[in-house]
Amino acid sequence: MANQAPQLLAKSISRAGIVFALALACGACSTIGPDPWQKDLMARREMQPNPYPLEVAAAEHIYFSKEASSGGRGFAGGGCGCN
Amino acid sequence: MQLKRRRPGRTRERLAAASASLLAATLALHSDPAGAQNADSAHTSNDFGPGTLYSELGSALLIYQETGGRVMAIEPSASLTAHGADGEELTFGFTLDAVSGATPNGAVPSDQTQTFVTPLKLKGSCTTVTTASGGSQVVCLPPTQGQQNSAERLYTTPPNTLPVDKGFRDHRGAFDLGWSQPLGPISLVGFGAGYSLERDYQAITANGRIEQTFNANDTTVSLSVNSEIDSSFPYGGIPEPLTAMDPHFKDVTARQKTQLGFVLGLTEVLTRRWLTQIDYSYDAQNGYQSDPYRFISLVDPVSGEPTNYLYESRPWNRTSQSVFWENKLDFDPVVTDLSLRYFKDNWGITSKTAELSERINLTQRTYLEPSARWYQQSAANFFHYYLVDGAALPAFASADTRLNAFTSMTYGLKLGFRMTPRTELDFSGGFYRQMGNGHPAEAIGQLKQQNLFGGTDAAYVLLGYNWDFH
Repeated sequence: MANQAPQLLAKSISRAGIVFALALACGACSTIGPDPWQKDLMARREMQPNPYPLEVAAAEHIYFSKEASSGGRGFAGGGCGCN
Repeated sequence: MQLKRRRPGRTRERLAAASASLLAATLALHSDPAGAQNADSAHTSNDFGPGTLYSELGSALLIYQETGGRVMAIEPSASLTAHGADGEELTFGFTLDAVSGATPNGAVPSDQTQTFVTPLKLKGSCTTVTTASGGSQVVCLPPTQGQQNSAERLYTTPPNTLPVDKGFRDHRGAFDLGWSQPLGPISLVGFGAGYSLERDYQAITANGRIEQTFNANDTTVSLSVNSEIDSSFPYGGIPEPLTAMDPHFKDVTARQKTQLGFVLGLTEVLTRRWLTQIDYSYDAQNGYQSDPYRFISLVDPVSGEPTNYLYESRPWNRTSQSVFWENKLDFDPVVTDLSLRYFKDNWGITSKTAELSERINLTQRTYLEPSARWYQQSAANFFHYYLVDGAALPAFASADTRLNAFTSMTYGLKLGFRMTPRTELDFSGGFYRQMGNGHPAEAIGQLKQQNLFGGTDAAYVLLGYNWDFH
């Protein structure tokens, strides 16, 4: 399995490149998104990407210690020996 | 996760008291009569946010309990973030943990009583042959070279019962520090570090982040890198993988694991009401990843009766990838949050997660938020419920339920109050259930009659408090 790591890394980097290219494409597409004066709803706390980080971290800690998957919303792993 | 004799509940009591003090202190500190009187009128005028100098104090308390007297955890946490007028941000956070209760040891149930032993170090001389201790017995062992006062902790599991170790007890303290700021043409550059210590485990983390926004801040692209060095120093030492259960202290006392990962993210404000976020994550772990306390049963090929118990063995390398997609839709006064995640690793595990919450703003100051989460994972390719005595041993084997195939559901409800425009208090509660196959087709002998799935049901309560202040 150790030999698979370089291929997986290469595959990951290529996939990351696709995501980055899509991001750039989005950046180039200035017609997407509201104008600044239309962002009243986005300014609300509940519309922020992670408005309650401590509570999300507590929930993620439960899942991390009971399931095999972690990460996605942030980094994988939990900085603890609970899995 | 160390096994040690202590007065039950002492740490839990201390943590509960500390948590209550922390929440009480933050509640008292926020007291702002003028702000409270003007809460309604000032609700829409808030001088907190980008371009202003202010701080945020957050605190949370998690209480988690599994059914059947299994694991209970109390976890208080707090963070303080100082925001600069030019977008600088300094964050300090800490988390405490007290975990206790019975936890499955990996062995399968049997129609006969089963006995398990673990190493135990005595403070005094071992003069008593057997003593009772929290569901376990302390048994003196004949003196060996270098272990004059050695003893073993022995516990039994009744017939037709999932073997659990009731001596499980652990504490954890963790803190993290982070700094971020705009840097020239770059929207945000940030660094952070963290440290976590348990009785038998230590983790040191460092991370960096770079962010760029486009399209009048409608588009944000980010790259985060994380590295971690973990040390495992279990009570009793590091057992040799797939060797028989042994009450003596092991020669190897510690092992390390390193971790390196990155997250590439795209956040896009698609419309006035729709925010979407896509993250791609890659993570590589290298080092000791076995659970040093976990067994796997060796069973008779005909009767299915346990003949021995071996320490589990996991591969040293693990690479994983995940794609996470979250959408927030504001249908004022209801805000929908839908997220999906696909995870895959080189241990053969794939998982899918879907999470949905609906925040219903009942008034300007209160909201209700029901939520549901569905999770499904496949088994690791080295997961076995048990190993068959006489057959060749595989290179890797684990009976850890967390590496088995299962589905889990979480149902939650949150109630939030905006006490003033600057403070918010919320209460959440939820129920978590794991569902898996307890009767695999390949079960032999008496194992056909047993439920081999060691999953759990749990309930949790979460209290959160946030305060913005100048």
